[in-house]
Amino acid sequence: MSVPLRFFLSAPFFLLAAGLLLAFAGDTPGLGPAPAALAATHAVTLGFLAMVMTGAMMQMLPVVAGVVLPHPRALAWATHLPLGLGTATLMAAFWTGNGAAFGIAAVLLALAFGTFLVATGRALRRAQAGDTVSGMRHAWLALVVTVVLGILLALTLGGRALLPDFAAALATHARFGLAGWVLLLVIGVAYQVVPMFQITPAYPRWLRRGLTPVLLGLLVARGVAPALPAPLDALTAIASEAGLAIGGAGFALATLALQARRRRKLPDVTLDFWRVGMISLLLCALVALAGTFVADVGDAPAFPALLGVLFIGGFAVSVVNGMLYKIVPFLAWFHLQAQLDARAGTIPNMKEMIAEPATRRQFRAHLAALALLVLAVFWPRAAAPWAGLALSLSALFLSINLLAAARRFARHGGRFG
Amino acid sequence: MTAHAYVVDARWLEPPEPMERVLAVLPRLAPGEALLLKLHREPYPLYAMLDAQGLRHETRPLPDGTFDIVIRRG
Repeated sequence: MSVPLRFFLSAPFFLLAAGLLLAFAGDTPGLGPAPAALAATHAVTLGFLAMVMTGAMMQMLPVVAGVVLPHPRALAWATHLPLGLGTATLMAAFWTGNGAAFGIAAVLLALAFGTFLVATGRALRRAQAGDTVSGMRHAWLALVVTVVLGILLALTLGGRALLPDFAAALATHARFGLAGWVLLLVIGVAYQVVPMFQITPAYPRWLRRGLTPVLLGLLVARGVAPALPAPLDALTAIASEAGLAIGGAGFALATLALQARRRRKLPDVTLDFWRVGMISLLLCALVALAGTFVADVGDAPAFPALLGVLFIGGFAVSVVNGMLYKIVPFLAWFHLQAQLDARAGTIPNMKEMIAEPATRRQFRAHLAALALLVLAVFWPRAAAPWAGLALSLSALFLSINLLAAARRFARHGGRFG
Repeated sequence: MTAHAYVVDARWLEPPEPMERVLAVLPRLAPGEALLLKLHREPYPLYAMLDAQGLRHETRPLPDGTFDIVIRRG
């Protein structure tokens, strides 16, 4: 029980750290590559998103793909500990600009992701074929590119000039991390969890077959575009960027359409988080398209910050936050059931693990944080501290809610060992 | 079709509610009795739990895309 849970219970603290940085550290996402903004961004992408997504993938692989990961306890230690320490060190490195800190962060994160990639890579090769498994395979490939470039970027910032073109490597790192690893994994997992938990029809077959390989192909095309001869370089860049935006928008629209056709129209906070996530992804895709075709938009200083806020805060954090409200109560219920071989009525059911009004309160705090983050892109001085406070509050509520499930698990006799 | 001592209609319920409902009935299932579970998908995790408890189960796919799962003790 403590193997998967450590990922999900520690992740909100990095979200809290990101909020506090925005609230009190002075610079803001609207002002370009600023130390606090970079530290906060990596607190969210590594400490929150990657923390939950790696933990969830190790949890899901045996269920959806029928493969057992070897030595789950050692694997959890060797991923979770260096990922947490590496993220904290990288945040400190961005904040202080200390070269040695960048080097230590690179080593720790290489260890965390190296362990995770080797273990899941072998499992994914043996896994039963399916749409979710192929989505996970494509996300895995994108994570390899993200991590390799991320380590080279960190080492370069630490004083070793390893990259001939820093800006191009940075753009490819961000694209493969966000439109690759995050988006492809969410898509692959959505094929399973949207029909299962929200009782909707299945995603159309052609979409399940085609979407993740096409998106990965477009990412590769965008990555190699600068190396092509003119005018092929610019054409490839524009076509692949437009394709990525259209693919993301298509997935968001398909998901919203399925959710509108769900069988039971009961209120569900996870569903609401997903809907906010899909609307944000759709908006992000529209902004990206505008930036590709309208030079004034693409060159605006606020453009990358707006894309980042919509994609990371609006899409990825919403979906992951919503899924935590399914994953953690399910684990608490399932392990209690299995450990105690419980009779009916003697343990809380899954819905009783976290009080619903508390999840609603956190959802409202999350919405407020998102709205303020968007405002902070345009009016950083006025809105960024408030956005940071709202994000901190939302992270604190999330943490309290998840810990409540763990407490309920322990109170009914569950063992973490 | 034989009569079933218990029927659990868990179609279109969110996981793990179907499993919770089945586990609530199982202690009352006497030897020779059968429980009919109606579900909109195949409950793979439940099979593992039933096997572990030594219960027999049989799954019939229905034309409407749902499943009838008959669970017996002994």
